[in-house]
Amino acid sequence: MRATSAKHNSLVLDRRSFLAGAAATLFVPVTLTVTARSAAAAATGVGAYIRVGDDNTVTLITGQTEMGQGIGSGLAQIMAEELMLDWAQVRFEHAPVLPATYGLPGWGVQLTGGSTSTMMWYTPLRTASAKAAQRLRAAAALTHGGTQDQWSLAVGGKLTHPTYGQKTFASVLGQIANTSEPASVSFAGTKRIVGQPVRRLDLAGKVDGSAVFGMDVMVPGMVFASVIHCPTITGKVKSCPTTASGALAVVNLGDAVAVVAKNTWLAMRIAQSLQSKVTWSLPANPALLDSTALATTAQALQDQATPPNLKAYESAGVPDDKLGLLDATYKTPFLAHACMEVLNATVSVTRTNGTVTFVELWLPTQGQSFIPATVRSVPGLSTLTDAQIKVNSMLCGGGFGRKIEQDYVLQAVKIAAAVGKPVKLTWSRPQDFKNDKYRPCASMHVRMGADANGIKAMVYRNISASINFQHGSNPEDTGAVAGAVKLPYSIANRRIEFAPLPTGVPLGYWRSVGESYNTFAVESAIDELALKLGQDPIDYRLRMLTNDQRATRLLQTLKAAPGYTSMNAARRGVAFLKGFNSYVALAVEIALDTAGMIKVTKAHYVIDCGVVINPNAVEAQMQGGLVHGIYSALYNRVTFVNGVPQVQNFSNYRVLRPRDMPQVSVSILEGDPTTAMPGGIGEAGVPCVAPAIANAYHRLRGTRVRELPFHPGATMSEG
Amino acid sequence: MILFRTPLAFLPDTSQQPVPSGASRKREGKDIAMAQVSFILNGSAKTVTVDSIKTPLLWVLRDVIGLTGTKYGCGVEICGACTVMVNGRPEKSCDTTIGEVAGANIMTIEGLKSDPLGARLQKAWLQYQVPQCGFCQSGMLMAAYGRLKAGESVSSTANGIPNLCQCGTFQRVKDAIMAIPTIA
Repeated sequence: MRATSAKHNSLVLDRRSFLAGAAATLFVPVTLTVTARSAAAAATGVGAYIRVGDDNTVTLITGQTEMGQGIGSGLAQIMAEELMLDWAQVRFEHAPVLPATYGLPGWGVQLTGGSTSTMMWYTPLRTASAKAAQRLRAAAALTHGGTQDQWSLAVGGKLTHPTYGQKTFASVLGQIANTSEPASVSFAGTKRIVGQPVRRLDLAGKVDGSAVFGMDVMVPGMVFASVIHCPTITGKVKSCPTTASGALAVVNLGDAVAVVAKNTWLAMRIAQSLQSKVTWSLPANPALLDSTALATTAQALQDQATPPNLKAYESAGVPDDKLGLLDATYKTPFLAHACMEVLNATVSVTRTNGTVTFVELWLPTQGQSFIPATVRSVPGLSTLTDAQIKVNSMLCGGGFGRKIEQDYVLQAVKIAAAVGKPVKLTWSRPQDFKNDKYRPCASMHVRMGADANGIKAMVYRNISASINFQHGSNPEDTGAVAGAVKLPYSIANRRIEFAPLPTGVPLGYWRSVGESYNTFAVESAIDELALKLGQDPIDYRLRMLTNDQRATRLLQTLKAAPGYTSMNAARRGVAFLKGFNSYVALAVEIALDTAGMIKVTKAHYVIDCGVVINPNAVEAQMQGGLVHGIYSALYNRVTFVNGVPQVQNFSNYRVLRPRDMPQVSVSILEGDPTTAMPGGIGEAGVPCVAPAIANAYHRLRGTRVRELPFHPGATMSEG
Repeated sequence: MILFRTPLAFLPDTSQQPVPSGASRKREGKDIAMAQVSFILNGSAKTVTVDSIKTPLLWVLRDVIGLTGTKYGCGVEICGACTVMVNGRPEKSCDTTIGEVAGANIMTIEGLKSDPLGARLQKAWLQYQVPQCGFCQSGMLMAAYGRLKAGESVSSTANGIPNLCQCGTFQRVKDAIMAIPTIA
């Protein structure tokens, strides 16, 4: 995978290798030898992923970041099933950065994103856990007597033998090193824990304040920092003061100015007050950073027969002479991530005789693999080995793709290196909004020919800001057309093409990425056709999905669901997604308030995510994806005026409050037990929301909204 | 590494020299009044020394005292992640100065379980598996607690608390609050 820390300290993930990794042969990257320890310490590992405590707790050590999606617990469920554990004895913890061991299997990159964690770890972790079970039995024989075959696992982390009775996992750990890697495994074949709505392991700390997020890390002797960036995005520091009243230090970071102080509030306040004393080098081409100019350019590129770097990502048949029923352009804006936990990182730099010998970081991150290179990119730190860089991955207060980036990490390392004390860098909320890696804006021109039986031809051109293109690594961007290619609908004649919209606005991965805009266009367009042809929106889709049994079952389930039939059809809309290796159908019912603003009153999801690890988690991700989709579709856009982002805080980036929550129900379809794999759930709930609302709105008002958000300029509702 | 800790396990070295209350010292030509402020925190008497009594309570709790359960989300009283109880009312600590709470009775998320209603809320939150990332939940719980404690109904509280949650846990927040009458 290519991962370059490039011009704007943004990450470029080659989506093709990302997806190819998921399809590659999955192997177990770990050898089940005990981690090397000092002679005095007792052995506690059964392989790199499993640690057994003296109290018979069993901890999963995972490279996947818990950021609310429940992955720590979900993967621990998989481990617990094969080891026949009681859920009460199970724990999870974030692994150190060691991509060869903890990176996504088949890919070797330690990151969390793309809804890949469960899918890619399912078989390797089951295998590693089943192998661990076999080794525990062999170790029991070595420890207590008898042969491996005579020992079996019993529920609760126990080993049993007809003669020697019941022993704990902990009692046999000393002999694990003397057992060998089993050649093959058989799985437990039970569903005691996997598939059950067991309680997530991280909840207790999240209701009593003891959970340690990145922002909560406390290191003895630490000082606190915050930053200001150029008000024109991507501007650089030209000159800045070297001191500030009340500050412990002022550090020029190149892309920002940091203030170090005795507490975060002081650091934020003093940093903000320095804005008038810093001079900035502005970016060369403000037109590439201006929303009005970008919109004009996007339309011009749509109108050009062959815009630069145009590429067809999917072609079939001859669509161009079969169009004529729909010609529509859908537009979606830049969006911010707005995680509840702003960007932060805590870094401690150790020097011996003036040379840096050790760097330790504590931070919320989705991108562990990229951190060592980030550290080494700081002057004076380039020769640090991996062993001299210790990364503590903390809990993330939301990620959504923002925390895979390295910009805030780099800043924190530079500050720590400059001040010689442990430093906690915390961005202010306004800086977090104004210096995001934004969800790319997109223009999607859709032309279709269709009749009552389905879509005969489709020409789809996506002109969008492209991460790959911006960084010059690759003008192709398969991620930019995700949600428009590989549609399960039978459309015999089609061409799906993309050309990049040049822009200087920093771009990043936003929950559901390409699907977050392409699904809006596709599912809106299909609905426009259905309305024109007098077709039921579900039946019309079903007619084009006869080759896809899972899609068919999904939509039939939606159509028959009380959650669907109880909605007022005159203000109800549906949308469908096959994506992230899952199938999702969503129906929403909307109403308008006295000011004409849309309110979603009801929502019903049907999801087929193959193997269900935890139905409670699936439901939670649909509930949460719905909220994320609603506020984004109804209210959100980030616009730029000559590079100045027109967003300040939640004050003018409206999101939902509890009173806005619709009644939501979720039904989960189980996959075929013999063939199913776990599909993604973290992103799958988002893409259907905007089109479902647009489709409901069309039925309610008779007008079609093709540009998001529905209510631009919305400000936060009263508290 | 530790993802969950006992509160107060880590305390920052604030490197602040204690001075008598009300004393001031000159630094770079400016008068900065260091002050000691006393209040009740989660049932115990507490005194902090701060450079400025304008320091928001949020940051005294987090950076000075080391109680990080109360969160920073926006700094402008919109998101509610910083909600604590001050003299029996839910307040946004990001915009409440430490000077304003001299002598006050403060409860943070770390003290919530000491009140049976608070403990029931936490139990409901676990039963309904409310948190996702969890960052907003301290404030969410304190806001709900504040209203219920004042006698507001569960349905009014469930709809009334203003707290933001970017993970979108609102369905379960409401379910958990509505279930309070059935939770011992």
